[in-house]
Amino acid sequence: MNAAAPAWPARARRWAAERADALRARRGSLWVALLLLVAVLLGVLVFLAGQFEEARDRAALERDATALASDIRAQLMRNVQTLQALHSSVPRAEDWEAPAGELLVAHRELMRLAWRSNGYRLLAERESPYLPSPDNASARAERPLPEVRQACDNARQLAGPAFSSSHIWPGDEGRGPALIAMCLPIGRAELRNGFLVATYSLAGVLSEFANKDLLRGRALSFLEADGKLLAALGQTPTGRETMAVRVLLDLPGYTLTLWLQAPLRPLGLFPNVLTAVVGLLSLALLLVLALLGRDMRLRQRAEFEVAEALAFRQAMENSLVTGLRARDMSGRISYANPAFCQMVGYGAEELMGSGLPAPWWPPERVDEYRQLHDQLLSGQAAPREGREWVFQRRDGTRFPVLVVEAPLIDAQGAQTGHLGAVLDITEQRRIEDQSRASLDRLQATARLTTVGEMASLLSHELNQPLAAIASYASGALNLLDDPPEDLSPAELRLAVERIGEQAERAGRVIKSVADFVRRREHSREALPPGDLVEAVAPLIGLQAKKLGIRVQIEVAPGLTPVRCDRTLIEQVLINLARNGMQAMPEGDPDATSGLRVLRIAVSAATVSASAPRGGTAFSVTDHGEGLSEAVQARLFTTFFTTKPEGMGLGLSLCRTVIEQHGGSLAFEPAQPRGTVFRFTLAAEPPSVSSAQ
Amino acid sequence: MTTHPDATIYLVDDDAVVRGALAWLLRTRRLPSEPYESAEAFMAQASGWQREPARPSCVLLDVRMPGQSGLALFERLLALPWQAVLPVIFLSGHADVPTAVDAVKRGAFDFCEKPFSDNLLVDRVEQALARSAKAIAQRAQQRNMQQRLEGLTERERDVLRLVAAGLPNKLVADQLEISVRTVEVHRSRVFDKMDVKSAVELANALRLL
Repeated sequence: MNAAAPAWPARARRWAAERADALRARRGSLWVALLLLVAVLLGVLVFLAGQFEEARDRAALERDATALASDIRAQLMRNVQTLQALHSSVPRAEDWEAPAGELLVAHRELMRLAWRSNGYRLLAERESPYLPSPDNASARAERPLPEVRQACDNARQLAGPAFSSSHIWPGDEGRGPALIAMCLPIGRAELRNGFLVATYSLAGVLSEFANKDLLRGRALSFLEADGKLLAALGQTPTGRETMAVRVLLDLPGYTLTLWLQAPLRPLGLFPNVLTAVVGLLSLALLLVLALLGRDMRLRQRAEFEVAEALAFRQAMENSLVTGLRARDMSGRISYANPAFCQMVGYGAEELMGSGLPAPWWPPERVDEYRQLHDQLLSGQAAPREGREWVFQRRDGTRFPVLVVEAPLIDAQGAQTGHLGAVLDITEQRRIEDQSRASLDRLQATARLTTVGEMASLLSHELNQPLAAIASYASGALNLLDDPPEDLSPAELRLAVERIGEQAERAGRVIKSVADFVRRREHSREALPPGDLVEAVAPLIGLQAKKLGIRVQIEVAPGLTPVRCDRTLIEQVLINLARNGMQAMPEGDPDATSGLRVLRIAVSAATVSASAPRGGTAFSVTDHGEGLSEAVQARLFTTFFTTKPEGMGLGLSLCRTVIEQHGGSLAFEPAQPRGTVFRFTLAAEPPSVSSAQ
Repeated sequence: MTTHPDATIYLVDDDAVVRGALAWLLRTRRLPSEPYESAEAFMAQASGWQREPARPSCVLLDVRMPGQSGLALFERLLALPWQAVLPVIFLSGHADVPTAVDAVKRGAFDFCEKPFSDNLLVDRVEQALARSAKAIAQRAQQRNMQQRLEGLTERERDVLRLVAAGLPNKLVADQLEISVRTVEVHRSRVFDKMDVKSAVELANALRLL
């Protein structure tokens, strides 16, 4: 399993990369297809739009051409009436010329008016004043042109106006303007009074009759049936493609072709707004699609990453040995990881939503824990290094844990609960206990070794005089029981003297031991009282923690240093503290009473009879069951002990040490229960003891 | 209780007071003693001895002494061929009891823990002296037997060896290729010289050697 774990991310990454490649390829081809489709659609759209535009233009052009043709025809027909009016009364040739001339001035399209007899003889003639050169026209007009004659023949048959075919102004070598003549029979059929021949300039007809509004930028021409250009008006812009329509202009006796030519409207990419809008929309659609695709890709990647992170978190949570549990603000469990479930022996689904008191709180500690929990909710910061609790498993076994709490803050910055990391410290406690036990053992051994050596030395030193005393005493008794004949009192006296001498020797041995203790005075030093307490605090703390006792140390500020043997006074403090803690076994006093406190206080001593020079007062207070009167009476007696494994040396040694330092060790009941041990150390060493 | 006024008790203890006190005590029981202040002093005296003490004697030895300890001295005494004549009683402090017990297992007569009940100690001293006296008598008898053996001829010694092994005269004669008659003559002469009356007595006497 271990070997496989590092391979997992690599394989997953490779797999993900392959999948991403495939996705990208497919996405690419999709995009190409989409682009092609849109391009084709756009092309078709543009093409169709163009076609539509062109058809519309052509239709408009045809409409215009038809309108032009009918305009021209109408004008020509109106002219016929005007010309008939010229002959409403039968004038004479002389009287005809004046109104004809007026008519010619008014109608610029008319080149000339001629009045011919039935036999085509010229009766009167008038030419347009706008003609450039009226040179030899009359001569040529003496005889009608064949086209005119044919027209007049037609007119006679029709008994109405008839138009001739187009022809060129004679005498200009075929380069003159194209003309058309209209022959109007004058008078009624039975009283034919000749013909009125009006010669129109085709160019003039175009320029006078064509509606100019319909001709912007267009060219209007008359064509022969064979397509030959007769006259033209206007011009299309050069270099532009054109579109042309032909319309037949049906005149009596002749049919002309009218040719309307218009420049092709330049075909833009977008022939009209619709196409442009559709194109733009398509482009916008493409853009939106692209953006959507991009967004989706990003989202997909984010999802992938989130899934990976989630899997990673899951693996992490499952591999954790530290229990994790989260609570909401009402104290309900909102999360518990497998390690925590395993720790307390409940399933995750059982824990979910379970409120206070938590099922793993030992029943007797519920009040205490609820108080702690309320503090946590009230925003009081939990200690960073965590707090020690005792949890109870489902099967009822207890185990100590270290809980580090941290507030859960949501995205809005509001607290939604708190998360606790729970560390099982059973093993740690066991090791601590072990090390403390071994430390205790070591100290005891050291003490015993010293005591043993001392005892061995003492016994040897004392045995010699005691052996001698015993020998002399026995010998003396022997002499008295069975006196020899030569028994002298001097011999007995010698024995008794020796006994005295040896008793004295034994006394000296005892005294030397006392001297040895006194010699330690030379190792005294001046120390701040706080240092003494501080030095022993860790050692006391170890045992206190095991018994669930809080050690309260109060050192008044500004204390003068005390002169003392550091080792001995520390030993006294440790002994008193140990006695105090042993007076408070687990459950007495109760944990909830708030009395599981060992108080070590140091303050300046008030000047009293016992401490005439003042000094520093130390006190060690426990809240155990106190001392019975019987115990009090023998408390300082050497070899008296209340403990099964005790030697009964502790308190008596303590008192000896304190007295050696010129102080005294006293005790009294504490309030509300327990015992206070007090001793005072003088600020200066008592001069009397050092002199001895 | 037999007293040994001719006995000698060697007191080896570094403490003069203890030596004096013990000497005085022994004197009240009419036991003479010789004090030595150290193991070295006693060895110097003992190495001067040409032969074993002729009178019952014993050593009162302190376990713990400066210089050579009582135990080291005991080791040297054990090496002597006549150690049985000189029983050793150790005087020990409380802490030395295991050492003393060990010494007893290796042949010391006894040990007494200080401070001792003195008359008990003196009783043990007298018992030691009795054993010493017995050892002296034994050694004297051995020496006597040795002298008698040395007075035998070669042929008589051969006969003695076979007779002590429990062979009848006839077999002895066969082994030595002499006549039964001759064996009988030798045999009676050996009995005379060794001052015994039977073959059994002879075998017992030889066992002492």
